[in-house]
Amino acid sequence: MKTRTVRRLAQVFFFSLFLFFVFVTDLRYLKGYPVSLFLELDPLVSFATAITTHTVYMGLLWSLLLIIPTLLFGRIFCNWICPYGILHHFIGWLMGKRRAGERERIEANRYKKLYSLKYVILIAMIVAALCHSLQIGWLDPICLFHRSMSVAILPMLNLFFPSSIYVRQYFHVGAWVVGFMLLFLVGMNVVIPRFFCRVLCPLGAFLGTLSTAALWRIDRDPHKCVDCDLCLKSCEGASDPHTQLRKSECFVCFNCIEDCPEDAISFKFMPALEREITAPVVPGRRAFLGTLLGLTFFAFGRASGASDRNYNKKVIRPPGSVEEKDFLERCIKCDQCIRTCPTNVLQPALMESGLEGIWTPILNMKLGYCEVNCTLCGQVCPTGAIQRITIEEKTGLGPFVKEGPIRLGTAFFDHGRCLPWSMETPCVVCEEVCPVSPKAIYSREVSIIKRDGNPITLRRPYVDPALCIGCGICEHECPVTDEAAIRVTAVGETRSRDRRLLMDGGITSAPRSLESKQR
Amino acid sequence: MAVPAAANPPTGNRKTFRRTNVSSLERVISLAIVVLLVVIGAAIWFKGKCYNPDRFALNVNALKATAVAVEGKSGTVRGADASPGETTAAVNQQAAGEGGAGGEPAEGNATAPAPAAKGEPLEIIFDGLKPMGDTEFYNSDNLFEKIDGRAPAYLNFNFQQLRCRSFSVTGASGSFVDVYEYCFDTPVNAFGMFSLERDPKGEPLVFAPDGYASGMGFFFRQGPRYIQVMASDQNAKTLDLAKAVAEDRAKNLPADDAGLDARRRLPATGLDPASVQFVQENAQGQAFLKNVFQAKYDFDGQKLPFFLMVTTPAEAAAAWKSYQDFAGQFGGQVTALPDVNGAKIFMSKNFGTWKVIYQRDGEIGGVVDAADGDQARAFVEKYLAGQMK
Amino acid sequence: MKSDPDASKAGESGDAASGGISRREFFIRAGATGALLAGAAAGGYALWQPKHFVPGFAPEKGLQLPSYAIAPSKILPSLAIAHGTEHEATVRAALGALGGMSRFIRKGDVVMIKPNVAFDTPPALAATTHPETLRAVARLVLEAGAARVYVADNPINSPTGCFLKSGLRQVADDLNLDLLYPEASGFAPLQLDGEVLRNWTFFHEPFIKATKVIGVAPCKDHNLCHASMTMKNWYGLLGGRRSQFHQYIHSIVSDFALMMKPTLVVLDGMNVLMKNGPTGGRLSDVKLMNTVVAGTDMVAVDSYGYTHLMERDLAELTYVHKAEARGLGSTRWQDLIYKEVQA
Repeated sequence: MKTRTVRRLAQVFFFSLFLFFVFVTDLRYLKGYPVSLFLELDPLVSFATAITTHTVYMGLLWSLLLIIPTLLFGRIFCNWICPYGILHHFIGWLMGKRRAGERERIEANRYKKLYSLKYVILIAMIVAALCHSLQIGWLDPICLFHRSMSVAILPMLNLFFPSSIYVRQYFHVGAWVVGFMLLFLVGMNVVIPRFFCRVLCPLGAFLGTLSTAALWRIDRDPHKCVDCDLCLKSCEGASDPHTQLRKSECFVCFNCIEDCPEDAISFKFMPALEREITAPVVPGRRAFLGTLLGLTFFAFGRASGASDRNYNKKVIRPPGSVEEKDFLERCIKCDQCIRTCPTNVLQPALMESGLEGIWTPILNMKLGYCEVNCTLCGQVCPTGAIQRITIEEKTGLGPFVKEGPIRLGTAFFDHGRCLPWSMETPCVVCEEVCPVSPKAIYSREVSIIKRDGNPITLRRPYVDPALCIGCGICEHECPVTDEAAIRVTAVGETRSRDRRLLMDGGITSAPRSLESKQR
Repeated sequence: MAVPAAANPPTGNRKTFRRTNVSSLERVISLAIVVLLVVIGAAIWFKGKCYNPDRFALNVNALKATAVAVEGKSGTVRGADASPGETTAAVNQQAAGEGGAGGEPAEGNATAPAPAAKGEPLEIIFDGLKPMGDTEFYNSDNLFEKIDGRAPAYLNFNFQQLRCRSFSVTGASGSFVDVYEYCFDTPVNAFGMFSLERDPKGEPLVFAPDGYASGMGFFFRQGPRYIQVMASDQNAKTLDLAKAVAEDRAKNLPADDAGLDARRRLPATGLDPASVQFVQENAQGQAFLKNVFQAKYDFDGQKLPFFLMVTTPAEAAAAWKSYQDFAGQFGGQVTALPDVNGAKIFMSKNFGTWKVIYQRDGEIGGVVDAADGDQARAFVEKYLAGQMK
Repeated sequence: MKSDPDASKAGESGDAASGGISRREFFIRAGATGALLAGAAAGGYALWQPKHFVPGFAPEKGLQLPSYAIAPSKILPSLAIAHGTEHEATVRAALGALGGMSRFIRKGDVVMIKPNVAFDTPPALAATTHPETLRAVARLVLEAGAARVYVADNPINSPTGCFLKSGLRQVADDLNLDLLYPEASGFAPLQLDGEVLRNWTFFHEPFIKATKVIGVAPCKDHNLCHASMTMKNWYGLLGGRRSQFHQYIHSIVSDFALMMKPTLVVLDGMNVLMKNGPTGGRLSDVKLMNTVVAGTDMVAVDSYGYTHLMERDLAELTYVHKAEARGLGSTRWQDLIYKEVQA
């Protein structure tokens, strides 16, 4: 069997595996499948989070499984495993049929100086990470692909084939931006083959840097070579196999071996150094610009204050999330949590949490609410931005009674919009659906004379902030659907000491009166 | 770095080249990679099957903590002052008219009218037990409905409330465990009632210092409560469950020994622990003997009843004097004995039995109903000399 | 241009060079264009809407549910109360007292069982139909010869989570029942001549093929309408923004008795949610009453449940009185033919 055939098999396998994981990230099918495996294998994710958090979170250790072969064989990930790369490869091949003749194809695969841009992007992202701001999620291919699928592609499929993906249609704020971004990047394969992989991919840049040390590489035998340049015809990485191989660009796709009519190309162990360009070529000025971009992204973003005292009340993070500053060190904007959430409450933020928080998950109670006995988001988060908490930890039961439940925020009534408060109409759906016992919403009975002169006894609801966990089902079920009469905001969340609402001795948020009455 | 144009550029239309010489090494490695892919697929499929169901649903064991109800968090607040700050005329009228009627907060149950506060139901969660019916509550007015003629004794000790419930043993129809919790106003009174009903042949309990097992029941005092846990039959399973329930109550009910420190003054040597009793008033028929602890002692082969009472020195002295006077009546022979260790003593013989009574500071006590007067005196003197710990 | 006799001759025979066209070509081209014109005109007229309408006010036509009730009996009881400690045995005892499930289900029936799966809580908290009760009812239905059994509900919480965590999905998997999730395509408008409920979107999919309907409800406290039992159970079939119902909750619950005429209702009083309903959340809210009630009159079943299982005053339960006043059932369950048995 030829190696290229195996490579194609591997591409089919890993791409199908990726699609399988994406489809199966649903409570009905999830079982024990490691649906964030690609993210955990992604070395840039573990490397960057190791810089920002000084830890390697749980499953991210798997990335060693990819680093080792890269250090041995080069960027095999890019053409054998990376589902995004496989997608681009496939689309490029599909569109590439339009390219007439070998000449055009050969010219399209020559190395361009533009391809050093991904290293600049990588530098910017690493510098930002050193400043404790994790921004790799913008362009890391696995994060990007997962995000595009969760936010745009799957809802699109469900619109065309109702109930194929979700029981009820899911909506995501800003899905059009994510969708068109994907379309653009994939479409650019028409202009430059493997545009994203060659020009923008920071993971490719990272692996390319690691490939410098690779022991095996594609090697051209100059004695057999007749300089026909046919090896460039299907070269995926634009690594110039026809002269000195650019090790950091080669995708190890084995196409050149298949295309060379003189059998001059092979995959060799430690071939001569003079026939290769070992390290990536990044002009110093560009590297400096990258550094500057990274520094200013962090500095200007952070200085805008969105994660400090001027925090947006609507930035309600998923249960189990770490404190905001830590969150921005961990969230890779992969939106796996958004994919798995059973109520569609998780949405990609736009500017609510500032520049650094674009596409990080926040709750929007108009679309859903946080189901009380569910911790799926934490189960699939690969970096621990949302910790892998148990349902007992979330609800404050079992061994966690003393700590009390995790609160996402607190609900507040808007009396002017509430039916019993201002409109003489009975309601209290909020009290009905409040899931904690005793309920965090209670009512007081009041008798008033209506406008028509008849008396009516109404129950007017109140929030007990000591019990409210901020799940938002009250806001979601409130019949005033455009802007609910009870709304949850972030204050009172337990993940942050600063944002607690009630004084509790500063240790836990377990309501003190409740503590003394129990047992 | 500029790349020179190909020296021999291809000439356009030509059949695509196909490589044919594939080395055996390449074939082997390719096969190995295919096998690796299959293994990865299988591993993922297998991983999908093994998962902890607690990932998706709450583990029911975690609910144990919610078995206790929470007080003070009613669902709907009713009554004239239900809505503070509500200033509509109607409510003001209501408030003026009703004058603060009701206002009793409902017990978490949002819709039923507020019931009279009875207390927490007796919830005992045990494998093998299912509650039979509700928790019953009795106070001093209706205790006799439950325990008939025993009630007056309980009332004497300031009985407050009885909380009782029966639990059936699963899998053994007809077997059940009854739990009775009598709550008194003070631990001393609880002890008094407990000790009054005490079975002298009872086996002591490990988990309750004031407790014993007798027949099919476990009886003990904890805090201001006198607990009785009784099995319905002699089956091992029923008895084990009853014992487990008794242990559970002992663990969960608050301990409180306030007012029982006088008991500690009772000397330990020769004490029969099952005989310790507390008498609230009119001990030995004497009006001046109140809150008395009494016990029986093994001394020189005899059983000697001993008592003591702790009060103010003035009262103790007065009581001692009164006792002496009383002993002198009806033909009793009273002998004053020399002081021992700061204590005044007298001994007397009444109706064939001897008593030796001492008083020291705020403590008055002694041996009563002894057959041998010398023995009684020896005991008291030994105690006063501090030779009986 | 002066006409050339040769040219005109040529034109008649179809020579394009001369500027004229043949008759054949004329008919084809004129015909094609004419057909398009006619088609446009016809299409436009067919789609024409001569009158405007006011959005949101158009009269709606909806489906109406048939009655699934069986013929009433003068001999067999219409209400059965069974006491026991095991779910399966007690349900069987209750159905047995009614004359057996075969009284209600014939061989080949397609049965729709409607449980209450409103929340994603574990069965121990008694906020949803207990899986063992559903298992017992489904087993009885299958034993009676049902061809197909649907289980469906439109929960308040997310459907996948609710069915999983309440344990009902496992029952459906074990017994091979058809579990239907409330997908958007499964809903259709319902029409009803109710007191308040007149037109509402309804979870229609399980009813398309159903010949018999059984409601299996838990017995729960409810903060607003005092209790959620067999009548309130049908709330779970409605879609849309149901939170508006709370403005007329008692009228709407009594409307449910009009909307649905089931074959049988089962009230699961083994574990009763006594307070903090309908969501519950603490074991201390739950009380063991060890009773199952089954019957054909949901008003009577609810009346028994409120007085004997929840131990409250029936005068408070406005919706049963409304339903009785409208002739939809009887609150005096004692006056029906009923049977009380021990499992």
